[in-house]
Amino acid sequence: MERYDETAKDLLFTMAVLTVSFLINVFIQRFFLTPSLIPTIFVLGVFLVSLKTRGYLWGVLASLLSVVAVNYAFTYPYYAFGFSLPESLPTAVIMLIVATMTSTLTTKVKAHEKMKAETEREKMRANLLRAISHDLRTPLTSIYGSTSAIIDNYDILPKEQQIRLLEEVRGDSQWLIRMVENLLSVTRIDGGKVQVMKVSTVLEELIDATLIKFRKQYPNQEVQVSIPEEFISIPMDAMLMEQVLINLLENAVLHAKGMTELSLTVRTSGNRAVFEVADNGCGIARDKIGKLFTGYLDRGSAIADGQRNNMGIGLSVCATIVKAHGGVIEAENRKSGGAVFRFSLEMEELSYEQ
Amino acid sequence: MSNNKYKVLVVEDESNIRSFMRTILEANEYQVLLAGTCRQGEMMFTSHQPDLVILDLGLPDRDGLEFISFARHTSAVPVIVLSARANESDKVEALDQGANDYITKPFGTAELLARVRAALRNSRHSQEMGAVPGGKFILKDMEIDYDRRLVLIGGREVKLTQTEYNIVTILSEHAGKVMTYAAIIQAVWGNADSGSIKKLQVNMANIRKKLAEKPGDNRYIVNELGVGYRMHEG
Repeated sequence: MERYDETAKDLLFTMAVLTVSFLINVFIQRFFLTPSLIPTIFVLGVFLVSLKTRGYLWGVLASLLSVVAVNYAFTYPYYAFGFSLPESLPTAVIMLIVATMTSTLTTKVKAHEKMKAETEREKMRANLLRAISHDLRTPLTSIYGSTSAIIDNYDILPKEQQIRLLEEVRGDSQWLIRMVENLLSVTRIDGGKVQVMKVSTVLEELIDATLIKFRKQYPNQEVQVSIPEEFISIPMDAMLMEQVLINLLENAVLHAKGMTELSLTVRTSGNRAVFEVADNGCGIARDKIGKLFTGYLDRGSAIADGQRNNMGIGLSVCATIVKAHGGVIEAENRKSGGAVFRFSLEMEELSYEQ
Repeated sequence: MSNNKYKVLVVEDESNIRSFMRTILEANEYQVLLAGTCRQGEMMFTSHQPDLVILDLGLPDRDGLEFISFARHTSAVPVIVLSARANESDKVEALDQGANDYITKPFGTAELLARVRAALRNSRHSQEMGAVPGGKFILKDMEIDYDRRLVLIGGREVKLTQTEYNIVTILSEHAGKVMTYAAIIQAVWGNADSGSIKKLQVNMANIRKKLAEKPGDNRYIVNELGVGYRMHEG
């Protein structure tokens, strides 16, 4: 299917370029009477076609058609074929050379870019693995330590202390669960290559499920919710989108220092639903704002020990998921203070009779 | 005394998970039977006739779905499925094959016990009362009067259409248990065409509006995204 689309696109492009070249030449011939320009225009057309289409076929086709056109319309006798080989042949050869050389070059450049992207992805994957392994070690150490402490000192440790240790174990495992959920989400998409499974999801149901889950983790955090009144359905992987919203809310709780208000807003704009998570906390530091969604990977090996955080990976996951849904996520500081994260998704057209 | 306890069969291959489930369930007065494979589970099922089965879908010897069809041959015993988060399709399939409910791993004690209670209550309920609803269902400030076909909130009548009332009733009859889209559609409209999930979702949006349930309230009906709906237990 996609192949046919590509072919159709190439064909259309070739035709368009040739038509435009032809029209320009008709114009030149009529008003400037400088026939020497005519083949040059076609060469430029052939060059463009070779540059923008895939493979050799279209460039070659364009050059042949150009030769025919020059011969038919722009050399004496006008608008009739009159083959004077000595003139047509060199033009044809030159055009063919231009076409093949350009195509070869383009193909090479494309292959090179693909390889570069591949290496880049590998590097990112390695960085991700390193960062994650580091982040996993901290809670695991604490779980291992706490449980060993309890088992080895069962009779000595007072009950309250045991419970305190166990509560830490529970907290650490919950953190690990969220981390692993994020990782699962990323591997499910894998570099934005695999298409996500989109199912029609009711906006209100998504927000409802998200909030219930979020409140389980942060029962004391108020969230102001505002969504459109009308019935809105959006094709998405609901599990992943829920993860995006929870990550954004959680990010605000963990990093927006001094926050007193956290809001989740959805509004419609044309055929898209715009999601916004906004807080009135400390905002995002200027030097971090550009790297928010890739920061986790860029930390590389230079990770300082100490406080672990979910932020990097959480936001990277958000960006990946939103991208896989054909959207872009952006973050900015609000004029009134605090930060806002925003992305939009295409809505479903509703044709439903009640 | 032990005869009064419900017998719960846990079929799960991870021994750590088996052992903590046993601890939780025994602490809450259930008699627990453990099986590590599908085959072992089937044997214990036949010989012990448990009141409830908790089944992990990813078993080493066979697909957990096979256990469900095996159990459904001979009995209507409630089956709760344990599933990993990533496999929504598995869990819908399990529900459609006859499982009664599911729990997503990882889960907490409270969630596990709530599902177990709901499953046992539902099976008892259907055995005693059959399919004919009667009397009343009360959940927080909501009351469903089956005889008068009314839904009241705080004593005030909520005006529902026929379809909306039917949906609410079906959910309330299976309170605590997830009802798949397919099961609700089957019960309300009798047949399922391609557009019916959307029809159900639109009706449900209206119901939630009429019950004045705001996103995140979690008062009466829970959205199980991509699977179906669940009404809280009364």
